[in-house]
Amino acid sequence: MKRQSSLVSESVLIEKLIQRDQQAFQWLYDQYSPALYGVVLRIVRDDEQAADLLQDIFIKIWKNLDAYDATKGRLFTWMLNVARNTAIDSLRARKTQPFAEIRTDAETVHIVDQEHNTEQPKPEHIGLKDVVNQLRPERKELIDLVYFGGYTHEEAAEKLNLPLGTVKTRVRAALQELKQLFR
Amino acid sequence: MNVTEYIASGILESYVMGAVSDQERREVECLSSIYPEVGRELDLLSEAIEQYAMLHSVEPPASIKDKLLQQLDFTSHEEADEEQESDTIVRPMPVDMSASNSHRTTWIVAACMGLAMLLFSFFLLSQLRTNQNALASVRTRNDSLKTVAGKLKADQAQSDQVVALLSQPALKRIELKGNEQAPEGNLSVFWSADTQQVAVNVKSLPALPADKQYQLWALVDGKPVDAGVFDVNGSATQSLNRSIARADAFAVTVEKRGGSPAPTMSTLLAVSPVKA
Repeated sequence: MKRQSSLVSESVLIEKLIQRDQQAFQWLYDQYSPALYGVVLRIVRDDEQAADLLQDIFIKIWKNLDAYDATKGRLFTWMLNVARNTAIDSLRARKTQPFAEIRTDAETVHIVDQEHNTEQPKPEHIGLKDVVNQLRPERKELIDLVYFGGYTHEEAAEKLNLPLGTVKTRVRAALQELKQLFR
Repeated sequence: MNVTEYIASGILESYVMGAVSDQERREVECLSSIYPEVGRELDLLSEAIEQYAMLHSVEPPASIKDKLLQQLDFTSHEEADEEQESDTIVRPMPVDMSASNSHRTTWIVAACMGLAMLLFSFFLLSQLRTNQNALASVRTRNDSLKTVAGKLKADQAQSDQVVALLSQPALKRIELKGNEQAPEGNLSVFWSADTQQVAVNVKSLPALPADKQYQLWALVDGKPVDAGVFDVNGSATQSLNRSIARADAFAVTVEKRGGSPAPTMSTLLAVSPVKA
């Protein structure tokens, strides 16, 4: 699942976005909204709230495009961070308990697969199931806590009752494993 | 800086997971722009987390896109439309070929040359801009490397001094543990009676406000003698700029920046005798 947009076309896209070009926005939305919505949904676990947040997130992206610095990272990474931070902030503001009910991997796979049914299958597509099956469960749990739950290393250590060093080592191992999986 | 060690430290992984402090975030962004290896690894990790996020894709409700298209300001496409309209109006003009053929050719050639020159000057202008930008970025980078080099040099001088001190045979090492004011406090004092040099290695001490510093005191016959000030400065061993010929014990207090002539007893954090 290599991204099609090369660096050159990404810089053209950004230029058009900064010029407030509607077509460029539509392309951006079509390309990335499912991923951003998926992440937000995973964080807030509420369809209605996630939909409101997604709208806020795209408004934020639109207003802050000037602040995006291509030398500091990729556009999608930046958008993901905007989405993730917005969702986590809203979660904290509502003071709900994000991990009152952690979905198990099997459930998540089921839900995501269901929601994916409408999309055409891509031959080179690595499914969530494949990744989940390959990632060690304790590493996946940690990615989900930190990335989708907004936990700091310290909070994750407390939550999982693990030494901080172990948490740090596992986060690193998990990311390295992901990196290899997507190579 | 050891790039390999930095990459292996796990900070880049924490960065892409969004689990770093603001200071760490700035550090990663700065170093990844200076060191290509760091930048590359960061890119690979960002891509991995992007892909992982992609896997969780869920099609959002269609209404959101419509709302956004209504709500956001887009550039009006009137200018583009006008252009199109004028395009459609253009029609080949009936031309009297025999009379103006040579004139026409001359005009076309002149127009083409004019256009070519215009394009060429735009090209030159854009080249100039690119070069100026490149120059500016090289300058910035040069400056930042100079700063790094200066710091490394200072660190090196400091390390040399410390190594010289630590390699003396008569060196004494005194472990100081924090009292109830700094229960986590822990530092080592290195002192050589021969050369009268003294150095500290802070393992853990609470951070101080900018206007305060830690001050080391040598106790000689029950009287405190200033042994220099120091900061909590990573794990480096800091050589202090005072000569201490005799000491029965060493003590640490918190003083105003630059040190005090006499110790403030209320801020005494640690004291430990020198073993004979």
